[in-house]
Amino acid sequence: MAGKDTKRGLVRHWPRFLLIIPFLLVVWVPFYNRIHPTLGDIPFFYWYQLAAILIGAGVAITVYLLEEWITPTTEQGSSDPDDGIDASGTPGDIL
Amino acid sequence: MTFNLTAAGVFVALFGLVTWLGFVAARWRKADLNQLHEWGLGGRRFGTVVTWFLLGGDLYTAYTFIAVPALVYGAGAMGFFAVPYTILIYPILFLIFPRLWKIAHEKGHVTAADYVRDRFDSRYLALAVALTGILATMPYIALQLVGMEVVIGALGFPAGGFTGHIPLIIAFIILAAFTYTSGLRAPALIAVVKDMLIFVTIFAAIVIIPAKLGGYSAIFASVPQEKLLLAPPSGGSLGSYSAYITLALGSALALFLYPHSMTGILSASSGKVIRRNAAALSAYSFVLGLIALLGYMAIAAGVDKNPLYAAGFAQHGANFAVPALFLDSFSSWFVGVAFAAIAIGALVPAAIMSIACANLFTRNLYKEFWKPDCTDAEEARMAKIVSLVVKVGAVVFILAIPQAYAIQLQLLGGIWIIQLLPPILLGLFTRSFNAHALLLGWAAGTAIGTYMAASRGFVSSVYPLEIFGVTVPGYAALYSVLVNFLVAAALSPVINRLSRRGVPPLR
Repeated sequence: MAGKDTKRGLVRHWPRFLLIIPFLLVVWVPFYNRIHPTLGDIPFFYWYQLAAILIGAGVAITVYLLEEWITPTTEQGSSDPDDGIDASGTPGDIL
Repeated sequence: MTFNLTAAGVFVALFGLVTWLGFVAARWRKADLNQLHEWGLGGRRFGTVVTWFLLGGDLYTAYTFIAVPALVYGAGAMGFFAVPYTILIYPILFLIFPRLWKIAHEKGHVTAADYVRDRFDSRYLALAVALTGILATMPYIALQLVGMEVVIGALGFPAGGFTGHIPLIIAFIILAAFTYTSGLRAPALIAVVKDMLIFVTIFAAIVIIPAKLGGYSAIFASVPQEKLLLAPPSGGSLGSYSAYITLALGSALALFLYPHSMTGILSASSGKVIRRNAAALSAYSFVLGLIALLGYMAIAAGVDKNPLYAAGFAQHGANFAVPALFLDSFSSWFVGVAFAAIAIGALVPAAIMSIACANLFTRNLYKEFWKPDCTDAEEARMAKIVSLVVKVGAVVFILAIPQAYAIQLQLLGGIWIIQLLPPILLGLFTRSFNAHALLLGWAAGTAIGTYMAASRGFVSSVYPLEIFGVTVPGYAALYSVLVNFLVAAALSPVINRLSRRGVPPLR
């Protein structure tokens, strides 16, 4: 049961792996702890992280749209039968 | 400081507007406010737009607007950790909380502790979650008052003595009254006004102030070199690098565990609303990044050397940097708008926080341990009364106790609240964790985190951890929640096996 659910979950939720991108952008501090290249005299450290906010937002929007495209949901919440929560509202074991 | 009549007039007028809004909110999407989920969760009917304003108003507080730039002003690049923090919160929101919302919605949970109670069938684990939430939130409410006090002082109202506190007390009586009558609808409606004022203020600030100071190049040129970047690792220590990213990651993991964030999330009308907001709330993150830069603008404007603001800096320290910058850069009427934005920015989260504490107390202490058979109306009345008590407590706290204690307690609050991560997160994705093991993990994490903060004299939450001879300074919350998780993971199989052998579970 768990195996089948996980597989269907992967089909529906693969775009969620993209959410690792914002994390990767900021996790390695030495990469962006520098002055150059500057952007209009703003040091790299500052404009890079501000840009990372916009990329992070872009990724979240993309993931949302991709998921809606794969399995449309209704306004009343998820119509997705495979999100690992059974009819009694108890989360199953998907780890 | 001289009394600024124009600014104070605009400030009072805007404050009057939101007071009125706070009371009419009771009739917005009218329902029976004698039901706790109506009073305390707005009936779980907030759509994408309202949730956006509510969560934005909830997470980006007056204290954020004052303290983040103050940190950048004082500590430079280190203060910018607020930016990676705000980048990391939305993937977490996207991945975890729609699932929690769905379960809470189906089972009628009002608080995170309700969910834990139900999920692990343990009222004591729920009690730990509820108490942690209340304790971590109280100093946070008090800090909202600090934010408000700073701007009221900057308007030139007489400071010092009891009379100095009267404007603050009036503001909190208003807050208490409309929260009591309207519940979560009040901050939701007021958040719309607050956010508009904040956005207007910030966009004016990032256009007008750099123009006056000679552009962004002049601003960054005036910042001392050693503040511009993080100190690189040296002498067997990772220095600022590990501190920077662990502060960002730990704060991001902790944010949505706070009861007030949870209240904002559970009041959404669907999981889809939450996922949409995970993307849309980034607009606030960008504004927060710009707000952080106000700290450097304050350095460039030289407000600390201006004798006009000496008294303010003497009283409030670096927290006075942004108010001083606004006084220095804007005309009086716009100072009124900007300060009203900050003060109203304190009302919204303070209201939501007190509602969240009231929900926790009522559901997980009062109903669970004293009056299991109380009616819905009794439950809602109890929550309303507790919301008043919480706010009186916060006012007394800020008037009677030195401000530094509130800041230190809030710092501890971050370490405590993150200990709820294993019970809340793990319960959503696996059945294999045991309630007793989670409770022991929570106790271990709380104790170690508190010890780490104590070893730094409660002035910093960055703990210099030694790993194989290398010092890795990092956020104590992140280190301690790791201990919490390891204890829970190690003990769960053991306790599960014991209970299968007939050791009766603790109920």
